[in-house]
Amino acid sequence: MSDVVVGHNVVIARGSQIAIAASDFTIPQGKITAIIGPNGSGKSTLLHAIAGLLPLSSGTLTVLDETPVASQPRISYVLQYTTVPSGTPLTVAEAVAMARYPGLGLFGRPSREDKKYVTSAMERLKITDLAKRHLTELSGGQRQRVYVAQGIAQDHAILLLDEPLTGLDITSAKTIDSIIHEEPDRGCSVVLTTHDLEEARAADHVILTAGRVVAFGKPQDVLTTENLTNAYGLGSLHEHQSTDLILPAEHHLGDHSH
Amino acid sequence: MEWFLDPFALGFQQRALAGGILAGLMTAVVGTWLVLRGMSFFGDAFVHGVVPGVAAAVVFDINPLLGAAAAALVMVLAIELVNRQTALGEDTSIGLLFVGMLALGVIIISRVDSYSGSLTTILFGDALGVTSQDLIIQAVLAVVVISAATLFYRPLLALSFNADKAQLWGLNPKRAHAALLVLIAAAVIGSFQSVGTLLVFGLLVGPPATAALVSRTVPRMVLTAAIISVFSVWIGLTLSFHLNTAGSATMAIVPIVLFFVVLAFTRLRTLRREKVLSHV
Repeated sequence: MSDVVVGHNVVIARGSQIAIAASDFTIPQGKITAIIGPNGSGKSTLLHAIAGLLPLSSGTLTVLDETPVASQPRISYVLQYTTVPSGTPLTVAEAVAMARYPGLGLFGRPSREDKKYVTSAMERLKITDLAKRHLTELSGGQRQRVYVAQGIAQDHAILLLDEPLTGLDITSAKTIDSIIHEEPDRGCSVVLTTHDLEEARAADHVILTAGRVVAFGKPQDVLTTENLTNAYGLGSLHEHQSTDLILPAEHHLGDHSH
Repeated sequence: MEWFLDPFALGFQQRALAGGILAGLMTAVVGTWLVLRGMSFFGDAFVHGVVPGVAAAVVFDINPLLGAAAAALVMVLAIELVNRQTALGEDTSIGLLFVGMLALGVIIISRVDSYSGSLTTILFGDALGVTSQDLIIQAVLAVVVISAATLFYRPLLALSFNADKAQLWGLNPKRAHAALLVLIAAAVIGSFQSVGTLLVFGLLVGPPATAALVSRTVPRMVLTAAIISVFSVWIGLTLSFHLNTAGSATMAIVPIVLFFVVLAFTRLRTLRREKVLSHV
């Protein structure tokens, strides 16, 4: 199994604060990787660095065998719907079609293939009937589906998603969860951040963060009581549960384990 | 009919209309992005920021456009300097420069004998004093601004959507932002002689904000803002002629009044729809 992302001694700062202290980690190709950790543990920072949006303070980070910035044309990044302003007068169809901008430049007209990508993405996210609706007229869950559709309508080898299922209605969460599990079958590597332990357990690969990468690897090797206690700093975390923290995958929403 | 034609019977009145329309078109195109990106405070500060440049041009008898351009450059660089060197919010750096540049402009202009007259002209414009040469410069700037805004449509739309996404789509958000600043400067410099530095802000924000209430896409918003701008200039000058009020101020107040009229209309329409739906 080859790796699409390899980090070695990665240090990332946000302003004058170190967000991720010296860390090593890898992300496998064609799998679902979940980045989990407490608030402020550096999950989104790591995602930003992989996307080439944040420079490293030190260390090396290789994405698709290149620097993160050089890999940007092959990275699609779905931001949290709460971080994207909804006030821009855009219809759903226009917002999704923006994903084809990288190949169109300033004036290029969308080709039949571009339109096919957009239509397919909207169908997969079940938002075709919302095509002419304005972004402000959508619920949070519907808007998140629009942004995921935008993410998959873009040419990409890696799909990054920042808390894609947080605070969504059940329909939107199920739809996005199925997309997350379909993407590896299409040869894409998925990396998502989450606060949900169940979601992390359902992934193929996990990176646990707490101001640094505490552990990375298979969920059962990473999400141990010791590691979680280290990461969350809570001795009481899951004390009431069995020491075996791995729940059956069926407990996770829309199980698609491979 | 005469009521509409009389205000534009003479050459200087026609030049006032042409100057106002050119200013309105430029500010509508640029103002749309200003409103979409939530940069209205920056726009307000920016139009005050050119005052010392224009004042210095009056004192040293040089072209006011050059003075305004130099002051705009100083303003943008100083805001950027404060942003980079301190942890203060951008609104603070804009506020500092807003007051600083306006005060500097008033200090400079207070050195000339016709202090109050010069200051009034700078701040509130002299629509009826627009010359043919002013119109030529305005027309060139209008062509440049509208062409550049068309060229940068996708980068500006992506930037308004999200700067990180714009970066990943290869649409260089920093370059798009810099281009927007240059376009704002060009629109303000090309408009202040007609409507004044203070009132140009009314045309920058009023028509796009009104257009935002009724537009579903950005191109429609730009088009609607341009129509509202031209209408505001025309009706403003007409009203100013008949009511004997200041031309620039009357032009500037029309889009603001229109905003509240359209807001009331759209709210009423929404309430009526909700009432109908509640009976279904």
